[in-house]
Amino acid sequence: MNNTVLELENISYKYKDDLILNKINLKINSGEKIALLGKSGSGKTTLISVINGTIKPTQGEVKLFNESFEELDRKQKSKITTIWQDLRLIEDLSAEQNVNCGLLAENNFYFAFKNLLNISSFKKAHKYMKLCRLHNSIYDKKIRKLSGGQKQRVAIARSLIQESNILLADEPFNNLDPKLITTIKNLLLENADKNKTKKSPKTALVALHRLDLLNDFDKVIGIRDGKIFFNIKRNNLKKIHLEKIY
Amino acid sequence: MNKLKLNYTSLSFIPILVCIPLGYQLINNINFGGFKLFQEFLISAFNPKIDNEIIIIVIKRLNETISIGFFSWLVSIIFGAIFGIISSNIFYKIFNIPNFFYHIVRFFLTIIRSIHEVVWGILLMQIYGINFSIGIIAICIPYIAVNSKVFAEQLETIDYKSFESINQINAPKFSSLLTLIWNPIINTFKNFGLYRLECSIRSTVILGLFGIGGIGTSIFLSFQTLNFRELWTYLWSLAILIILSGLIFKKIKFNTTNKILSIFFISVFFITILFSFSYFLYFIFNTNFENFNSVSSLFKSSSDLGLFDFLKLISETIILSLLSTGIAISLPPLVIGIFNNNTSKIFIKIFAFLLRLIPTPVILLTLLTFNNPSVSLAALTLGLHNAGITSKLLFTNLDSQDKRNYIAMKSLGISKKTSWLLGLFSQQAKSYLAYCAYRSDIIIRETAIVGVIGSVGLGWQLQESLSSFAWQEVTLVLIAYSSIAIVGELINGKIKNSLT
Ligand SMILES: Nc1ncnc2c1ncn2[C@@H]1O[C@H](COP(=O)(O)OP(=O)(O)O)[C@@H](O)[C@H]1O
Ligand SMILES: [Mg+2]
Repeated sequence: MNNTVLELENISYKYKDDLILNKINLKINSGEKIALLGKSGSGKTTLISVINGTIKPTQGEVKLFNESFEELDRKQKSKITTIWQDLRLIEDLSAEQNVNCGLLAENNFYFAFKNLLNISSFKKAHKYMKLCRLHNSIYDKKIRKLSGGQKQRVAIARSLIQESNILLADEPFNNLDPKLITTIKNLLLENADKNKTKKSPKTALVALHRLDLLNDFDKVIGIRDGKIFFNIKRNNLKKIHLEKIY
Repeated sequence: MNKLKLNYTSLSFIPILVCIPLGYQLINNINFGGFKLFQEFLISAFNPKIDNEIIIIVIKRLNETISIGFFSWLVSIIFGAIFGIISSNIFYKIFNIPNFFYHIVRFFLTIIRSIHEVVWGILLMQIYGINFSIGIIAICIPYIAVNSKVFAEQLETIDYKSFESINQINAPKFSSLLTLIWNPIINTFKNFGLYRLECSIRSTVILGLFGIGGIGTSIFLSFQTLNFRELWTYLWSLAILIILSGLIFKKIKFNTTNKILSIFFISVFFITILFSFSYFLYFIFNTNFENFNSVSSLFKSSSDLGLFDFLKLISETIILSLLSTGIAISLPPLVIGIFNNNTSKIFIKIFAFLLRLIPTPVILLTLLTFNNPSVSLAALTLGLHNAGITSKLLFTNLDSQDKRNYIAMKSLGISKKTSWLLGLFSQQAKSYLAYCAYRSDIIIRETAIVGVIGSVGLGWQLQESLSSFAWQEVTLVLIAYSSIAIVGELINGKIKNSLT
């Protein structure tokens, strides 16, 4: 079942004179859970932005389901969801409104309108917020009034509600208590669903820099100075690999 | 003695030097015979005419003013928001429209904004004659452009990253747009809406002086017939209206979480848009263009205006703006600094309120009772009126400022005036100057109003050219007027940037 969902072909990204991503080649197969390791400044966030189409690479091509990303229509692009390192929530909207924003892609304009007027249904939003262990007292609070950990989980709920096949997550466990981290990791990687047969299992690329969180991942990619240094099965990860990138 | 240092504080006072040429010209132009009339005007302030008949007129006229003001406000704030959206970056990013159109729309709005509503009013009245809706249209045209600028400025504060995240969710474009602009738009309505209502009521009064109807027209007519007691009845009732509305506006708090209220606002929003469009269509198909002859006359009519005359008018307008700005900047800190005690403060506040209340044309007409028309007189009028506005801001800022420095300096035995200057005002000077730079944009536009009445500059020429249907001249004057305003705005923008 080696069906490739995501493919990066010779991706380079230059900002001014700095080569931030350097000839990256990568194939991600359906259902793979991949951890992206690298110290801060190595290019993890940039790589994720290139994959989800926010940044255009200076060179190379991103392919989703074997088609060039740029040629995909809106519905196909929405198969990717991103949890941003800096969250990128809308500060003036409430937590539940922000989570509902995740549903904008599959709904029409009227839904967006109702969401802003606070008259849409928040049932699904609440379901995911509950899964993220968000207390119902914060549902209608503005984002700017939440703590860092709460914001983080709102961003995660907004991503989960999209029910996309491909998850890109940029250091999603920041700001979370150790106990929550396990819960959230299980949610993101759909560990709970492992035994259920699903049509297309969730593919995940998660940027991390905590090695103790690596279990549950199938593969590990190490990146340094915008270059991939290794791309291996997690079981094969050795100390020598880590020394290369840290 | 210390040398005069060029800092923000001294820069706030230096412009008062404009009073030297200004005073010279004014003194030369004094017409002593008119003082009696002026005196009568002042005395009537304490003895306005009050009887049943005039009260009924006042109510009817105020009603007209409020209606015109309200409807022009409603239309201009709603369309201001719409034009604000289509002149903001975010719109072009979401819809992937080339930036070229962004600049076109902005340029177009800048031109419309540069022409004062009185000028639009005079133009439209000349073409379509006087009626209720002309007043609304005349106010709406520049107001939509002004409001759109405010909305667009708020929309530019949208975080680019939240745009990227909504974009990444791949929502339909209109849903993304709405979600991103919602809060900036609502907040602008909340913070700015009622202020603009007050502005549009004031503009209605001024347009009334030029014949559009409402209390302004009564004020003008009573001045024409030298009925000062009646005049003051109108002025005081206007004062009551403005004070009352100020008090009411302070109490109003919009609660956006109230669903019924939100739905009411949304319906008003759409009804206004629908109604405006249908009126627009009606207007186009049903207007009698009799007065306008034909557009071609615009190119045919020859102009008697020589290049020299034209340049003279332009320089007159520029000088008028500079002199008025000088007064508006320096007079408030000077007066407040010199008469720095509690009793004087109350008098200054009352006087400033009157200067804001009395429409500039009326101030000018009053001064014209004992002074012949001149650039200086027009500048004095415009300067005083705007000093009324800048002093309000200065008072508010000074009152809310931390007074510890001032008190410390006074207790050290430094004179009260010096302590005020160095301990209080010096900390305000920079932001005060920045506000004055913004104010001077408005002053440039308002030169048209005093120009028409005080026979100076482009405003006066516009009136002349219009009454002789010299459309080519009208076009020329408008271009000149708008260029001055746009260049002024650019310069002021630079000044503001260096001050903030
Ligand atoms: N907006 C930007 N402008 C210029 N340089 C940037 C920008 N964002 C990131 N960089 C640079 O790109 C490199 C990679 O950054 P990033 O992708 O954020 O790394 P990581 O997420 O692994 O910490 C860094 O050297 C950083 O300085
Ligand atoms: Mg990063």
